[in-house]
Amino acid sequence: MDTVTDSIAAAPLPTQKTLRRRSNLAFQLYRFLAINLKMVRVIVRGHG
Amino acid sequence: MARVVILGAGVAGHTAALHLRRWLGKEHDVVVVTPNSTWNWIPSNIWVGVGKMPESKVVFPLAPIYRRKGIEFHQAFATTIFPEGTAEDSSPQVEIRSSLPAEKGRTERLAYDYLINATGPKLNFGATEGLGPEGNSLSVCTASHATQTAREFEALIERLASGRRQTVVIGTGHGMCTCEGAAFEYAFNVEHELRERGVRDKAELVYLTNEYELGDFGVGGMSFTQQGFTTSSKTWTESLFREREVRAITGAHVQKVDPGVIHYEHLDGTEHTQDFDFAMLLPPFRGAGLTAYDREGADITDTLFAPSGFLKVDADYSGKPYEQWSAEDWPTTYANPTYPNIFAPGIAFAPPHPISVPRTSPNGTVITPAPPRTGMPSGIQARTVASTIRDRIEKGADARPHTASMARMGAACVASAGTGMRRGSAAAMTMFPVVPDRVAYPLTGRDTKGTSGEIGLAGHWIKAALHYLFLYKAKARPLWFLIPE
Repeated sequence: MDTVTDSIAAAPLPTQKTLRRRSNLAFQLYRFLAINLKMVRVIVRGHG
Repeated sequence: MARVVILGAGVAGHTAALHLRRWLGKEHDVVVVTPNSTWNWIPSNIWVGVGKMPESKVVFPLAPIYRRKGIEFHQAFATTIFPEGTAEDSSPQVEIRSSLPAEKGRTERLAYDYLINATGPKLNFGATEGLGPEGNSLSVCTASHATQTAREFEALIERLASGRRQTVVIGTGHGMCTCEGAAFEYAFNVEHELRERGVRDKAELVYLTNEYELGDFGVGGMSFTQQGFTTSSKTWTESLFREREVRAITGAHVQKVDPGVIHYEHLDGTEHTQDFDFAMLLPPFRGAGLTAYDREGADITDTLFAPSGFLKVDADYSGKPYEQWSAEDWPTTYANPTYPNIFAPGIAFAPPHPISVPRTSPNGTVITPAPPRTGMPSGIQARTVASTIRDRIEKGADARPHTASMARMGAACVASAGTGMRRGSAAAMTMFPVVPDRVAYPLTGRDTKGTSGEIGLAGHWIKAALHYLFLYKAKARPLWFLIPE
């Protein structure tokens, strides 16, 4: 195995709970709003 | 009366044209020169490339928009700039060659007071033997490339469905490519679609990249703060590769693409081959290849353009070593230092150096991502240049330039990892600033509050929303200007 393959094999693997959360509609709606807020902050700073 | 000529109608050129037309009175001319008849929302080409979106959804004709807005439109290639005019005519001017078949390459010269070079890149497939749709690999860089790739992708699925094992290679086709994010997106959209079609178990998926490590994305990687820890984008990205079982080859410079075989050199100097049944490899970029002449007819292309073909602007091109790189190296006004009425926002400007750590193999091959300057930074730079030109036309040539450095601006990047309003996902990333500033942010080079990454369905919704928002904006529909760059 080469270095990058070793490194991928040792990377954190998301749990089933994490994977469910990534596709849970209610949680993702909340994250949609939160990520948009983060992006707006970056956009406002960028346009300043 | 002033005349502003804009070369190119991508994110930068089109943004500058629309803002200038909105701001300037009708006595001033805004002129766009582009060889393409359509505008393309390139970030969605990856969905075209997996057959999930028709080409018609990512392009629209430019002529009706420019007619409606009162923008003069020439469908042509820009070929030569005469920034001092000629012996016969002292007006600065640019020569263009029609790309309309009916005009058979007719040339003409357009005089200008201000010139915006927003040509974007030349897709330099020729840098690697056998690379590209006319060679032995595929591309999603243009809408038509993506449509061709979608047809090949469908054929791949048919082979997989018939029980044949296939190797899919997606990545960068040269050691100095940029836009690794696009290759990442296409790799994970392919992976997602193969799963959706029930054939994932028959395919080996390989991501082949010039990045030194995963998660570099041409910006030297990022650091995210999550659940009380600072995590590198390397670990974060590797986690996705592990979860989705995608193999990676990093630090690779593709030397040649033969039918079914990629030849590449690794950063350690060793040479390898990678077999493939389906390969989408991005090309490196070059400038559009314009030339320039002074009033006496002497060639001054080297004065205006860097060897890469990109236009020189107010950046530090001294070629100093990595240890001395600083945020101040990056341009702020995007004006050419010799001819300050010529500007270059977006990909068309020559960057001072990469953002990622520069690396060379023992054979002397440079294997370092070129800095990305697409999307949000490109749009902001275009608006900044348009603001400067507006002020100089309205307030006089001494009006102070507006500024926007990539070392002072952030970027939001949403990298799709599969489409679908219920089953899609994307990596939503923000970074501030784009170019790390080790003086302002000694720990990671970036503001940890403005730098984040998150994978999930919400990211896909954002990517889909951006698709519709930016097409609306580019079509100059009512209140388009309220949508930020």
